[in-house]
Amino acid sequence: MNDNILDLKHVSVHYETFEGLFTAVRDISFSLGYNESIGIIGESGCGKSTLSYAILRYLASNAKIEGSIHFKDQNLFELSDREMEEIRGNRISMVYQNPYSSLNPSITIGKQLDEVTIFHRGLSKADARAASLEALELMNIGDGKNLVRRYPHQISGGIQQRIIIAMAILARPDIMVLDEPTTALDVTTEAVILDSINDLKQKLNMSFIYISHDMGVINKVAEQIIVMYNGEMVERGPKEKIFAHPFHPYTRALINCMPRGGVVKENTYLNTIKGYVKRRGDLATGCPFADRCEKKTATCEDDYGIRKVDDGHYAACARAYAEDVKSPPAKAFHRTTSAVPGEHDDSPALINIENLKKIYGLRRKVHALNGVTFSMPAGSVLGVVGESGCGKSTTGHIITGLYSPTKGKVEFKQRDISLDWRKRDSDTLREIQLIFQNPGKSLNPSHTVEQIIARPMNKLIGRKNKKERREEIIQLLKTVDLGGDYITKKPKEMSGGEQQRVAIARALAINPELIVCDEPTSALDVSVQASVLNLLNEIQEKTGTSYIFISHDLNVINYISDTILVMYAGFVVEFGLRDEVMAPPFHPYTEALFSAVPDVDPTKKKKVIELTGALPDPSRKVRGCPFASRCHIKVGDICDKVYPPKREISPTHYYYCHAERSS
Amino acid sequence: MKYVLYQLKRHPLAIIAILVILGWIFLAFAGPSFLAYTYTQMDSTFQMAPPGVNNHLLGTDALGRDILSRIIVGSRSILTVALFTSILSTILGILLGFSAGYFGKAFDTLFLRSMDILMSIPPLVLSMVVLGILGDSTIASLTLIVSIAFIPATARVSRGVLLSEKSQEYVQAARIRGESHVYIMFAEILPNTVGPIIVEATARFAYSIMMVASLGFLGVGLQPPTPDWGMMVIENRPIIADAPWTVLFPALAIASLVIAISIFSDFISKVLIHER
Amino acid sequence: MNSYLSTVFSKVGSLLATLLVISLIIFSLVELMPGDVAQMILGQSATEDSLRELRQARGLDDPFFTRYGRWIAGVVRGDLGDSIYMQGVPISSILWRKVGHSLFLALTAFIIFVPVSIVLGVIAGVKEKKAADSIISFTGLATMALPEFVSGVILISIFAVRLKWLPIVSVIPIGQTLFQNLDILVLPALSITFVMFGYVSRMQRSSMIIVMNSDYIKAARLKGLPERYIIFRHALRNALLPTITIIGMNMGWLFGGLIVVETLFGFPGMGSLLMTAIKTRDVPLIEACVLLITVIFALSTMTTDLLYGYLNPRIRFKGGQR
Repeated sequence: MNDNILDLKHVSVHYETFEGLFTAVRDISFSLGYNESIGIIGESGCGKSTLSYAILRYLASNAKIEGSIHFKDQNLFELSDREMEEIRGNRISMVYQNPYSSLNPSITIGKQLDEVTIFHRGLSKADARAASLEALELMNIGDGKNLVRRYPHQISGGIQQRIIIAMAILARPDIMVLDEPTTALDVTTEAVILDSINDLKQKLNMSFIYISHDMGVINKVAEQIIVMYNGEMVERGPKEKIFAHPFHPYTRALINCMPRGGVVKENTYLNTIKGYVKRRGDLATGCPFADRCEKKTATCEDDYGIRKVDDGHYAACARAYAEDVKSPPAKAFHRTTSAVPGEHDDSPALINIENLKKIYGLRRKVHALNGVTFSMPAGSVLGVVGESGCGKSTTGHIITGLYSPTKGKVEFKQRDISLDWRKRDSDTLREIQLIFQNPGKSLNPSHTVEQIIARPMNKLIGRKNKKERREEIIQLLKTVDLGGDYITKKPKEMSGGEQQRVAIARALAINPELIVCDEPTSALDVSVQASVLNLLNEIQEKTGTSYIFISHDLNVINYISDTILVMYAGFVVEFGLRDEVMAPPFHPYTEALFSAVPDVDPTKKKKVIELTGALPDPSRKVRGCPFASRCHIKVGDICDKVYPPKREISPTHYYYCHAERSS
Repeated sequence: MKYVLYQLKRHPLAIIAILVILGWIFLAFAGPSFLAYTYTQMDSTFQMAPPGVNNHLLGTDALGRDILSRIIVGSRSILTVALFTSILSTILGILLGFSAGYFGKAFDTLFLRSMDILMSIPPLVLSMVVLGILGDSTIASLTLIVSIAFIPATARVSRGVLLSEKSQEYVQAARIRGESHVYIMFAEILPNTVGPIIVEATARFAYSIMMVASLGFLGVGLQPPTPDWGMMVIENRPIIADAPWTVLFPALAIASLVIAISIFSDFISKVLIHER
Repeated sequence: MNSYLSTVFSKVGSLLATLLVISLIIFSLVELMPGDVAQMILGQSATEDSLRELRQARGLDDPFFTRYGRWIAGVVRGDLGDSIYMQGVPISSILWRKVGHSLFLALTAFIIFVPVSIVLGVIAGVKEKKAADSIISFTGLATMALPEFVSGVILISIFAVRLKWLPIVSVIPIGQTLFQNLDILVLPALSITFVMFGYVSRMQRSSMIIVMNSDYIKAARLKGLPERYIIFRHALRNALLPTITIIGMNMGWLFGGLIVVETLFGFPGMGSLLMTAIKTRDVPLIEACVLLITVIFALSTMTTDLLYGYLNPRIRFKGGQR
């Protein structure tokens, strides 16, 4: 009767809370066809996860649902619990974010896989085991026979997630829902999993719903995109059309917030969305985005609803490019510091790192840093990029003094500061500051904003006069776009973006020369990330502060850095000016890393270099090239035995490799 | 605060518990002045009298002493010792647990080993033996010995809470500022540990009462003429067949107090956990 | 299994070390007691000479560590010294039988409270916030709050005084054994059970709740597995593990409770023996009793530790490639 395998009609989900009724999902309707894959994109609080759980009808007891979801001919909302048990994991299955906590730590992998077919297909134990091994093979997991006897804590994150996907396909479901399955994984691991998913699309006839906040990832696995904001669907259509011409102002703003290839700070000011998401009750009407929209007019309240704007393309509003309300003029970032750093500067480097080594632990050693050397001039931004275990965070920690190096030297303004915080003099403490990844945790939950910012001012620059200090704090808050009324707030009363701004204000309060930013935007939504990046750029414009910006996100590094340092397994593998390193990358790891980052632009197709093998064992000293075990252009035995030589391509660009590569 | 009231309404049991506790505190302060008999008076004509006889609301014991009066006076000492014990053991626990958790490594290992050893002797046995050896117990000696016996428990909670805060980024932020250890432990971390510590302290109060009553029962509590609830139970045990009320009422007094405090402690933990 | 075996050895090693330190502490504590041992043995009217003779014969004036060493050497050989109060009767002859009685009592209590607490705790956890949970939780809270002698007294009043089903005191008539008088075990065992039930059932309940709210149980439900199967095959094994530790940790309370209960019921066990020893300042007896209690307690803690390590895959099989 129906062409579609899944039909959502006017689905709403409300939650009863201590503070009243709040609507997580409002009036969503769309259909999923056979063999079709749809991506749902949105930021935190948009309701995409709630929607996915509604499809599986797995909601909390205080949830109230409206509307209907038809799976083939049945309305899922009308089925009994028993009937839903038969559908979950069987006809509709789900893969979710954190693979490790999703596996029962006390049951072997094999048994957890077998369960699916034993219950849903009535297979015997032996047949179920055979099916499980087959599924593992489909996911390109080698050595399945040994794997099934292991327990979850004995295997790595990437393989865990593939096991979860294998569990989801065992019963050959019609629909698979994936909720941010790769967010917790490294980019290179993510690339492998996304390829596996695409592989599955070809081999098994399944429809997919893929949920993410990352447009690039969605572009890789889905054809249609649904954009959600604050519980509502604001736009829907084929990914090429949405990227080329978004209709809803939110969609357009969202896309423009995302740093991507070609977008660098000198030519683009990242779009930001002012304000933040407010929860709405069940009786709210009109456009949910209106209070933050630049293109707002009178009709936003009444004449609001999804309508067709083009072939297969629907939007709730078509004012993304409306001319009647002028957007503020686009700004660009102006460098105040002298030319491209490192070119011919006679001024001494701000910071100089020589052969930095760090070993943690006594009995079980972890070689976190294995001889890292680099330097950076004042007034610039050094981007440090690498995946988990590469040592970038450790480097940041040593520079700021949280730990002292095991060997090697850290020189700052020509002073040796290879000491930890207890031994550093107050000048150094004042001149180097740190911004953390998790803003909520980096601010003391029991202190007010004023206390948080006042303390370093009191301690490190001697501002003892309360009244004057308060004035200064209010000024500071202004620089980070927060009102004076924030001084009495406590961290839990603020959003993630606001918390991070307070953290930045705290770092700035004492006028440091160097701020180490350790993944400052990784925990933030894209639009919030954009505003924080802009803020950092503005501050540098005004004060000439230098940054060491650590991140695993290549797009962000590309946007904000002047020079880039690529790290792998505690070693430096490549270093150069941003443009030199980005195009083209010389070191094979840099190359693989770049290829793995999915593009926000759906028309750009990249060939992904898949890395197989594992990182070198951190408890042992590495002989030879650390990347040898995974390198796709490995020269030969020499890579395993001898540490690669330094190859200089320009006075500012070098890499370490045995292979000679030409651009 | 609004949330506390909201929760109180949904937990009528907690309201009863709070009333019971307040009731006992009131009785302890007011004393038996409004009663017909003092706690030492011996009514020789009405020994082992059942409740109600001759204005003895809860009856008399073998020596004719008014049971209700003795219970009320006994509440003073037991509440005092329990209060001081829970405060002292909590403070000692914080000092030891925080230091061990914060400084880690050798200090922590030393701490854990000592706690292991201290915990090898069951707390009641330890207290009983030490107090028995020392001779007559006073409020001070009871408080001190029981607090020491409780240190492994309170210190473990403090240490656990400190460890979970120590790894938070705001502690690292404080280090980068060059703050002193004392500042970090008490100005940064302590305010965030108040919740669990208060819950533990209220639970500790309940355990203290149990412990003091048990020690009294075993004969190493406060000595006569101070009426010790536990002691009242053991000294009237031989006549339980003929005059069960002499044993039952002190026992029920203990039970009511401890149960009320436990319910209260439970309620506090529900409220404070939400706060986080 | 290799790493597990080495864990076993190291645990046994530290147990022995701990016991050594404890014995030293016990010995010093008791030896610090005021009062002259020789005087206590010979009484008030003893002459100076006889006192001196006795002290020399027993080596009471020897330095501290010599006396300690002598005691420990004796213990290892099985000789626990002689009781002062009981006029030189060797402690070993009276102690072991009493220990047997106490262990039997403890075992009876154990057999009752462990299954009951676990089952009711699991039920309360699974039916969280429903009627069954409220009843079980409250009962647990109430019984947990009652010291053993309080529940004992209440039990005696009801079952022994009122209903007369069971004896008021738990003594063994001379000439008979425990096994001929099993009814004396009931009330004492129940008293101990109450407190332990409260504690263990509440812990089991909260452990069950935590497990039922965990990500992997959510994952199991999303796999469409039947709820029954999830509770019994997925949740239970993870929820029971912490309970093992809790039971082990509470052995301390159990032993303390044993003393209280034995005193209340007049049960002829180690606890009442210790009480007598303290009252009569019988130094060797005190030392022997406390040492034995500590040894048994330490052994039971170590056993629960090892059991936990064996049953928890994360400890038994060391984590591999991450």
